[in-house]
Amino acid sequence: MHLFKYRLLQTIREKDLIFWSLLFPLILGTFFYMSFWKMSNSMGEQEDSWETIPVAVIEKDTTSQEAAYFSQFIDEINGNVIEIKDYSSEEAAITALQNDEITGVYYVDKEPSLSIAKSGINQSILNGMLDSYMKNAQIMMDIATDHPENIQKLMTEYSTMTDSGDYLSDVDLSGKTMNPMIAYFLALIAYCCISGAFMGVHASFTSQANLSALGARRSITPTKKIVLVLTDLAVLVLIHFVNIMILTLYVWKVLKIPLGIPIVPMLVTNLMGSIVGISLGIIIGATSKAGIGVKTGLTVLLTLLPAFLAGLMYGNMKNIIELHAPIINRINPAAVLSDTYYALGVFSDYGRYHRNILTLLAMSVLLLSIAFFSLRRERYDSI
Amino acid sequence: MIHIENLVKRYGDLVALDHLNLDVKEGEIFGLLGPNGSGKTTAINCILALLKYDKGTITVFGKPMKTTSYDIKKNIGIVMQEVAVFDQMTVRENIDYFCGLYVTDKEKRRELVDEAIDFVGLNDYEKKRPKKLSGGLLRRLNIACGIVHKPKLIILDEPTVAVDPQSRNRILEGIVELNKKGSTIIYTSHYMEEVEQICTRIAIIDHGQVLATGTTEELKNMIKPKEKITIQAIALDESNLAEIERIPHTIDVEYEDQVLKLRFESAEHNLIRLLNYLKDSNIAFGRVFSERPTLNDVFLEITGTELRD
Repeated sequence: MHLFKYRLLQTIREKDLIFWSLLFPLILGTFFYMSFWKMSNSMGEQEDSWETIPVAVIEKDTTSQEAAYFSQFIDEINGNVIEIKDYSSEEAAITALQNDEITGVYYVDKEPSLSIAKSGINQSILNGMLDSYMKNAQIMMDIATDHPENIQKLMTEYSTMTDSGDYLSDVDLSGKTMNPMIAYFLALIAYCCISGAFMGVHASFTSQANLSALGARRSITPTKKIVLVLTDLAVLVLIHFVNIMILTLYVWKVLKIPLGIPIVPMLVTNLMGSIVGISLGIIIGATSKAGIGVKTGLTVLLTLLPAFLAGLMYGNMKNIIELHAPIINRINPAAVLSDTYYALGVFSDYGRYHRNILTLLAMSVLLLSIAFFSLRRERYDSI
Repeated sequence: MIHIENLVKRYGDLVALDHLNLDVKEGEIFGLLGPNGSGKTTAINCILALLKYDKGTITVFGKPMKTTSYDIKKNIGIVMQEVAVFDQMTVRENIDYFCGLYVTDKEKRRELVDEAIDFVGLNDYEKKRPKKLSGGLLRRLNIACGIVHKPKLIILDEPTVAVDPQSRNRILEGIVELNKKGSTIIYTSHYMEEVEQICTRIAIIDHGQVLATGTTEELKNMIKPKEKITIQAIALDESNLAEIERIPHTIDVEYEDQVLKLRFESAEHNLIRLLNYLKDSNIAFGRVFSERPTLNDVFLEITGTELRD
């Protein structure tokens, strides 16, 4: 407790560190709020004014059963999620797509397809619709092949689902906000988690004998290094976790951004984010002898880059990456974090939430292990 | 108390410690004297098991020193060359924090912290943060953090660098006091006057080797010149200089800008013989200085270079 108390005191009194890890994200959040949110309509209006996505539909095949099913599907979602615009020819539709008059062109064919000209949330929704349809169509094909006796029952259920609009419930657009501006705030919270790296870098300097006199003095005491390392980690994760919770609550309760994240999953996600951020910093700090300036520069890069890729500076960035290099979104901690918030707050998709939490847990364990072994070193080649 | 045998430490091609041998006995103030870069701090870091070394053995309190030698570490206090305290904590908090790394009992710790604050004279600054302290006071805090747990062995690595004369004297007096209270001290410095003033035994180290070990007197007796005489404002010609060179026990004569410098081997009445010659030759002169050789002369004699201050 003695070590914990003093390490806590020492860290929270470090004004620079607290500014960058707490006040800076709060200021940034306020800035986002004033720049983006206030300029847009209030949240209620956002929900009410949800607009359908304009698309063109080109019928390439009018004879096959598959094309007929897809055509039926398109008709059912017309006016609900999409709005079909009529064009005289495919060329006219493509021109309209290129001129941003429509968001996509669905092709009714034996194998339905979609053309889009840009990346974005609306394009992702259109793509998601097609994916979802294709998956269900495949399931029906499989059942028809393996259990033809059940096909009639399945068709009845499917028909009931589409008639009542329940088909769309996989992507929950009702009752939750789809305001793309929320992506900025979620990316900000994710950035705040990752920016714990600054605290980690700083802490590693006072723990390593080859980096500072303080580290040397602490290394030659009879207190085991493992105790010092675990105390430091516990203090840093606690402080950082509190900082992130303050930011999250500020965004949610003060700025009134409807994150809509349930409290327990939020706590779990923020805790994971804290561990990932702190561990990342410790690894940067402890694995080389470079000076504090170089390591701070590296930390700026390794925190801002993931945040940028997760959509902090350009809200649509994550969707662009999802379209072209989805693996980056799977391994970028900021993207995984913001996606976790998104899964909770926007989609209420607990499957996706649990997958992301497992990913974060794996990242935490991996980074924490590397960080721990980096700090645990007691004898050096040079000091 | 400390035994080092054939210690070799290389940084790539650079040999920082070259078969260093050293013995520190209980109760002494042992000075490690050498210029910057001579290997003093490297040797200390090896003793403390902070640095890996290529060859050799180190025993402290009769046991091999390892990173896990916690029983040895609890009896060692270290005062680094660089001030090693937390800027965000007050003087008292810093001393208490470092004491807590050695002593877990809260009451005992409080007593030790009070004693350490008294010892370094920081009572009026207990609640101040390090940034509010002058260089000298900061050095005293650095010392307090290193000695608060009353270790048997205290290693002070250049503790007076960039310290004002008043604080320097206080620090040196404090070191002698700690030694009187029973602590063995290892004191590294490139300030020969300090080492000469407080150390009971000295090792002269350069290029990672111990060149000579002994008390101040023993070291001075190792070299040929035993007396230096300097005479200012004196006008001499070639014949005078030749005659002066013939004065018994003279090692060498240097004359420049009307200043005469002579070095003599050990003998009595060197100054009287010189002054008699000047009187007999009717040579006027200004101020006269007679000095015993310093550790710098010892260093110069042994290494051929001056100990840089």
